[in-house]
Amino acid sequence: MLHPNTELLKQELRTPPAGTYAPHIFRAEGLTAHPDAPHGIRRAYSIASLFAAPKPHIYKGDTVVGSIRPLWTDATPEESQAAAEACTGFGIRGFHHNGDHYAPDYHTILTEGIPGMLSRIEASMEAHKDEADRVEFLESGRIALLGLRDRLAAYAKAAEALTGAEGYHSETLCQIKKNCKALCDRAPVSFPEALQLVWMIHNCFVCEGRYAMALGRMDQFLYPFFAHDTEVGTLTEDEATALLENVFMKIYERRAYLGGDDVVNIAVGGVKPDGSDATNRLSFCILRAVGNINLPGPNLSARIAPTTPEDFLDECLKVIGTGLGYPALMNDEVNIAALSRYGYAIEDARNYSMVGCIENFITGMQPPWSDGRFDTPRFLEYVFNNGKGYFHPSAGLDTGPVESITSMDILMERLETQLKAGVKEYVDGFNRVNVLPDPENYTSPFLSLFCKDCIGRGLDINMGGAVYPSVHGAALMGVGTLCDSLAAIEQVVFTDRIATISELAAALKANFEGYEPLRETLLAAPKYGNNNDFVDKYAVWFVDFLSDEFMKYHTPDGGGYYTAMAANVSNIYAGHVIGATPDGRRAGEPLSDAASPTYGRDTRGATATVLSVTKPDYTKVACGTVINQKYSPSMFEDGRREKLRALIRVYFAKGGQEMQINATSTEVLKDAMDHPEKYPELVVRVSGFSAIYITLAREVQMDILARTQQE
Amino acid sequence: MIQLNISDIQHFSVGDGPGIRTTVFLKGCNLRCPWCHNPETISRDTVTLTYPKANKSVTYGRLMTVDEIVREVMEDADFYRQSGGGVTVSGGEPLLQAEAVAELAKALQNQGVSVLLDTAGCVPWSRFEAVLPYVDTVFFDWKTSHPTVMKERIGGDLPLIKSNLARLLQTAKETHIRIPLIPNVNTSEEALTAIATDLREVGAKTVALLPFHRLAVGKYEAMGIPYPYRDTPPLPADALRRAVEILSKNFTVYTEK
Repeated sequence: MLHPNTELLKQELRTPPAGTYAPHIFRAEGLTAHPDAPHGIRRAYSIASLFAAPKPHIYKGDTVVGSIRPLWTDATPEESQAAAEACTGFGIRGFHHNGDHYAPDYHTILTEGIPGMLSRIEASMEAHKDEADRVEFLESGRIALLGLRDRLAAYAKAAEALTGAEGYHSETLCQIKKNCKALCDRAPVSFPEALQLVWMIHNCFVCEGRYAMALGRMDQFLYPFFAHDTEVGTLTEDEATALLENVFMKIYERRAYLGGDDVVNIAVGGVKPDGSDATNRLSFCILRAVGNINLPGPNLSARIAPTTPEDFLDECLKVIGTGLGYPALMNDEVNIAALSRYGYAIEDARNYSMVGCIENFITGMQPPWSDGRFDTPRFLEYVFNNGKGYFHPSAGLDTGPVESITSMDILMERLETQLKAGVKEYVDGFNRVNVLPDPENYTSPFLSLFCKDCIGRGLDINMGGAVYPSVHGAALMGVGTLCDSLAAIEQVVFTDRIATISELAAALKANFEGYEPLRETLLAAPKYGNNNDFVDKYAVWFVDFLSDEFMKYHTPDGGGYYTAMAANVSNIYAGHVIGATPDGRRAGEPLSDAASPTYGRDTRGATATVLSVTKPDYTKVACGTVINQKYSPSMFEDGRREKLRALIRVYFAKGGQEMQINATSTEVLKDAMDHPEKYPELVVRVSGFSAIYITLAREVQMDILARTQQE
Repeated sequence: MIQLNISDIQHFSVGDGPGIRTTVFLKGCNLRCPWCHNPETISRDTVTLTYPKANKSVTYGRLMTVDEIVREVMEDADFYRQSGGGVTVSGGEPLLQAEAVAELAKALQNQGVSVLLDTAGCVPWSRFEAVLPYVDTVFFDWKTSHPTVMKERIGGDLPLIKSNLARLLQTAKETHIRIPLIPNVNTSEEALTAIATDLREVGAKTVALLPFHRLAVGKYEAMGIPYPYRDTPPLPADALRRAVEILSKNFTVYTEK
């Protein structure tokens, strides 16, 4: 049940703001006011004016404030044009330049407050007083931080001015005013203040235009405040949940007004930096609040460790069972082991959280995340077609005519040659793009404040300020398609000798037209997901070979290349340009999804799926994997949930990395395709992000339907 | 090596006993319940179900040795341990293959796996005696206490079933009596009262109710045979409530889904 305030807020979000979305108008203010300052300083002023100049908007349902609504203005096209021109040369870094997808260090500012952070900046300026560039960078951070302080002050004033206005509660406004005012002058001392500070900072990142900014381990950095308040009796768990709801509902603001699918990851549970269990009462409140909201946006990840209490896992399943699809369940042990391969201190690895969909991230200690897609089945196409795609434009190596492949060993050798070249090409391509923005002109003074140790070093987050370098994730696509293809070749060509490799090549080229019997034979070969080593061994090879290969490379600032096995719905689009594959898949059909077996081919039940997909070593997949599973709603009822819990525990004990569960029945999904008006809020989780089902393309809807319904 | 005539082995069964189970469905049944939701298991011969819309057909019926079955079901041993589950032997009527079922159950017991027998009980007592030492739990179906309905519509022998249940309850074996609630068969007050009388006489304390559903419609269509219950809606909630009320006078009553 939503708190009445949040319900009211939800209604208010249905009315989009009038005017034009024009953050550049507010950026331009700071730039024009300081025409002669150095570039980095001018940028800081533009950020400060972006934060503090717009007239604050407080919703009637707000208990925590901070809104992007004031960024819509009634400026004339001429004014807007002039502001845009003033902002020339002050663009921001994009996804491939470490600009967003970041989990900030909120712990530090909650501890020291804005004044504490200002003093620390000043101390660092003193320490670096002979290094002008560092002093200048610190000054830019100071200016941006003052912008945040001014924004809080403006909201305090706005709350006061609204007192008595129709539809507003004076008491709530008074509380908002007190919280915002206090945060200007000191560190937070209560849960509502701490939450207000975190939300206002997050909202500033959104104003800056950054996407997929995570809230991270809220149940950790907010817990001291929560524990204190509940102990002294100034806060109940229900009140804390209601405040969290208010914040999570506002995450939806951007989707409501600007569209898109921004995801704000929140990690709950897991272990603390010292290795002890981190689950606490606030973890439960966050789960319930996200469940109550039941909207996409807050992307909840539950870190499940062997020490995670059963009642917490049970609460996770209850929330999933509402049909929301959250939280994604993460295997803490595997993720920590995977990150540890990259040389992070163990306590930093244990303090990881996720950004974006599922990407593992060293919280507040490295530049923002980036990733790209690496579709694997096309490399098999190169092996079969002299280094060329059947109909996609890219090309690999010519590894020789297909008829000279006389054994599985030769085939695998050529495939590995192709993949090695592909990995190198991928890395070279990304590393070229990654360094395009000139660091001096693309600083991030505000973001850097929330990354260790930018203030201490006096350096920008992307110029050596961060404790750890940037990492990049390559999302390996098509494990199911490739493994099924290799197993089919081994079975049909080299074991049963039903067809020659040349006949198979001809069939693939013809998209099986005229080769239906051969296609049937290929389809009958063992498929990934049924606990059959004959095919599962290729999944083990897939993860080992590709992860080892990517691990050889580094990002431009010396960080690691991670692999991922998650690709949202990119597997569908990647499939469009890939010809027929030896597993019986026709040209243009989707590739297998994420780390999951090909849809509908894991026919031996959920246990066999688990036994297959736990064979690869996911401690080599540092970014993370996605295994999508769908269960009928009855699996989430009392008496059945414990069976699902047991399944998950075994899955994790065997080394599974992640499980994402949808609880929507096939009947509902089919009905929603034909009667979308009946399901305006039906949320499905598509391999990493949640979406409102009726907004998805029919093709994607069909894809979701096709996923094996286990039970 | 002794073989079993198997219809299907279903992994991750969650409705056939405690925990995560693997259910071994055996072929062949000596009853002919017109509402049967596993019609593919009735005949001893192979049966092919054809689903034209899904462009798929599935054949049920194959011989497997005890070793083969044990190997397959032991894949899930970790899930049984974690969940308190095990293997369920169902059908069809598994006790028509009692000797082979006993071998299978014994082999599983030796591996520390709990075995549950799901039977309609219309077999000579000696069949129970052969299997019971290796079985932890028995699900015993009680369909009707009306001798004519049992004989003419189901093809069963009520006195034999009743005497088997009475003997079973005298053993220490954990036994769950399960009543499928079928419209026009056993949902009237009279029919339920008769069931209560019989079950009281054999010493039952607890019963589980399984309300009728018609999810098997698709299977009958795929087999190309008529389903007498295709137009019977699921058991209405008030009929279930009445049944619970009547039986609760004498028993602890559970409802399964």
